[in-house]
Amino acid sequence: MKYDVFIGLEIHIHLKTQSKMFCSCPAVYGDEPNTNICPVCLGYPGTLPQANRFAMELGYRVAHALQCRLSERTLFARKNYFYPDMPKNYQISQFENPIGEDGHMVVALPESGERSIRIHDVHIEEDAGKMIHAGADTFQDFNRAGFPLLEIVTEPDLKSGEETEAFLRDFQRTIRYLCVSDANMDEGSMKCDANISINHPGKGLGTKVELKNMNSPRFVRLGINHEIARHSKVLDEGGEIVQETRLWNENRDITESMRRKEESDDYRYFPEPDIPPFCPDREFMQKVEESLVELPLTIKKRLVSQYGLTLEQSEFLHDDYERVKLFEDTVALGATAHNVAAWLSSDVKKILNRDSINIGDSSLTPQRFNQLLALIEDGVISGKIAKNVLDEIFKTDTDPQEIVKKNNWAQITDKEALTTIIDKVLSDNPQVVQAIREGDHKQRGWLMGQVMQASDGKAAPEVSAKILQERL
Amino acid sequence: MNLDMRKWSSIMQDHQKIKQYEEKVRQLDSVLGCFLSFQPDIKPPIANAEMGNIPVAVKDNIAVRDMPLTCGSRILENLKAPYTATAIHKLQQAGASVVGKTNMDEFGMGSSTENSALGKTVNPWDTGKVTGGSSGGSAAATASGIVPLAIGSDTGGSVRQPANFCGVYGLKPTYGSISRYGLTAYASSLEVIGAMSYDLQLLKVAFDVMKGIDPHDQSSVSAPSSITAPGQSKLRAAVLKVDSGALDANVSQSYTQACQSLQKNGYSLEDVEIPTMKYVIPAYYTIAAAEASANLARYNGMRYGKAPNHAETPGQLMKKARHDGFGAEVKLRILLGTYVLRSGFQDQYYGQAQKVRTLIRQEISRIFEKFDVILMPVFPTQAFSCGGTDMDSYQQRLADVFTSLANLAGLPALALPTGHADGLPTGVQIMGSAFGEDQLFSAASAMAEDFPLQAPPNFLDIGDIR
Repeated sequence: MKYDVFIGLEIHIHLKTQSKMFCSCPAVYGDEPNTNICPVCLGYPGTLPQANRFAMELGYRVAHALQCRLSERTLFARKNYFYPDMPKNYQISQFENPIGEDGHMVVALPESGERSIRIHDVHIEEDAGKMIHAGADTFQDFNRAGFPLLEIVTEPDLKSGEETEAFLRDFQRTIRYLCVSDANMDEGSMKCDANISINHPGKGLGTKVELKNMNSPRFVRLGINHEIARHSKVLDEGGEIVQETRLWNENRDITESMRRKEESDDYRYFPEPDIPPFCPDREFMQKVEESLVELPLTIKKRLVSQYGLTLEQSEFLHDDYERVKLFEDTVALGATAHNVAAWLSSDVKKILNRDSINIGDSSLTPQRFNQLLALIEDGVISGKIAKNVLDEIFKTDTDPQEIVKKNNWAQITDKEALTTIIDKVLSDNPQVVQAIREGDHKQRGWLMGQVMQASDGKAAPEVSAKILQERL
Repeated sequence: MNLDMRKWSSIMQDHQKIKQYEEKVRQLDSVLGCFLSFQPDIKPPIANAEMGNIPVAVKDNIAVRDMPLTCGSRILENLKAPYTATAIHKLQQAGASVVGKTNMDEFGMGSSTENSALGKTVNPWDTGKVTGGSSGGSAAATASGIVPLAIGSDTGGSVRQPANFCGVYGLKPTYGSISRYGLTAYASSLEVIGAMSYDLQLLKVAFDVMKGIDPHDQSSVSAPSSITAPGQSKLRAAVLKVDSGALDANVSQSYTQACQSLQKNGYSLEDVEIPTMKYVIPAYYTIAAAEASANLARYNGMRYGKAPNHAETPGQLMKKARHDGFGAEVKLRILLGTYVLRSGFQDQYYGQAQKVRTLIRQEISRIFEKFDVILMPVFPTQAFSCGGTDMDSYQQRLADVFTSLANLAGLPALALPTGHADGLPTGVQIMGSAFGEDQLFSAASAMAEDFPLQAPPNFLDIGDIR
């Protein structure tokens, strides 16, 4: 790269609270427009904001997890600007003394390995309503107005689209681990804007361009890389970058200049007089401490070192906190780590995806999982039958042992019973038997297949093979 | 003076009497113009009602469910409140019945009520004079006997000054002691809901009913227990030294009479000077305008209120709604407020004003270490003439100096009538330390003997209702 690249992010996440940030309206997606509204979030005269304490807790949780210096006296501020979807035409946000400042997040980045990306600040604010354009009309839905938002601003420490995508994915993971937000870019519970600049090496930050409208980590990578290329071309030709806001056009894979807004960005911030400074007490901070979790990168490394998993297995597991939990809880009951990891990444994953089930509230408890694996290990059922049992666990929400009993799926290990079945198969297929005795060993597999069919798949494979061999 | 609460109660519960009352009010109000909307309703009485089932008038910037909430402005002239302010709700639960919404200077900006875009209110003592503002309608409604109690708001004197011009008691309580939930915001860090009445005892009951922490208003506070503990008698009064010529002759004379009355009632008096007084008006207007520019931004015709029928873009719609909907004084303060918050200027103006405010508070605080109350004038003149001939708007703003002080300091103050001169009321103001309302009431109560109340020429005597 001929130029130094500087990328900083402004990430907004919707906090998972019951109510909005400043009133008791439900903070939910998808309801009929303008049904979750009240005089407060509609900005009626005389209404006042009531700060959501749980939202503050979630905000402090994130700031703490990102190693920020936490504010003992955090202030709300009014950010003043006019826009049709703004109920008050000011947003209650934070300016001085935000919840957290000067933090960092260690991420495993492609090319450069583990790096610490600095967090400038974490602050809390409210969301605006939504405008819906339909032909010549524009409609306004204020269900979202007042939703609690947490904004996380990084320093311009990222250096490429790839790094940024990796950072974002780890950031998402961390946020989900902390249970503060779904952090879904396509659903709208997380948004990411980027500030990009490039410059000749050693000259510091260049003229920055703000990039918006990237609705997935992948688009963030594409958008940023496109911008870097665009800036490079301009500098190569001796030109100057125009400081502006651009939008990522995902249909055309390019960035486009946003129609210039008439008003400049003077937000005239001043302290919010309606809400006194928030001073977290000991009880509050204790709750914040207790809710902290081991972070994704640490877990990924620990899965390898503690359980001997491969990096690939560890990557897969650590992508979802519930997966890690199920894995560890099952292993704690006695199951073999590799087995659990293998089943999770194959058959379990298949069923969860097929039926759109959330692993956290599925019927596969650690106890059942452990039981299932034990049944295989003890030879009670075959690996093949086990897949059916797994399916039944999800279908019927019952224990594996019960399922096996109910369906009579226990392997047949009794020598006499097996011998009877095998003898019948042999007598039904004399030509094949003859062929094998004459040297065509490939047909053995077909015979085993017949044995399986005759026994409804329950013939214990190893024992059956042995007996078959004897009888041949 | 219509101070018989049982008489009021009997009117409010009788269909015939309410009708007579309504008739009489409409007749008188066609002269005075106190109300922007008036609708007395018969209500089932509440047993042991603290407020005694009386009618109450409420300033039109305070929300009462299903009643208009115009704030004296065209931009809200079609708005009905979808909820009730906490303070009013408490009064209603205690038996009071809201019979109408009163006229006011638009969004609380003014000292005459002449800045109302929706009506004209005149002084019951002399219909060629203003009522004062911005709670002019409430003051006139009380002074003319139409209601025994009226609720207003005080940002820089808007309860005390009209009370003073109309000859009634007007209380501005401690900042935060009454919930602001339901009070249309003009200057959030300065304003409070207040009340007016001829009856001190009723005023005290109203305050006790309305006060208290409200979860809807996170700036609301309750008195620390140390205040309510009984202490030794608190009779040390500081008297603000006023430059000669700063007050009209009648006002100056009533000031002297008030001092004498306090002395007679056992108060020890001492002159004090408040050097930071000269910064009160610049600090007040800078802070109030800044907060107003943000508080009034919500009025853009998008969600409620008046909007033009058509506009090409949302920006145009907002511009037109605000251009047509706001009066000149409101526009002036919004522009001023936007200016003092601008990046590059904020520290110099808004930031500086807040620092000055702290200095003022500290100075007042030092005075309250040695004194229990401070006596001072309310306004340099008695009620001035309608139409701005005696006092133009600039002079009116400067004259807010005596009242704005209590708002900057967040302290309680009570305007009390001290008789009449040249056919118009005179009065003074006592300021107390935080949550010191009781002392204000007891001082005023002591002085009341020396200043017997008198009804104005335009007065509705409920004795006539049978």
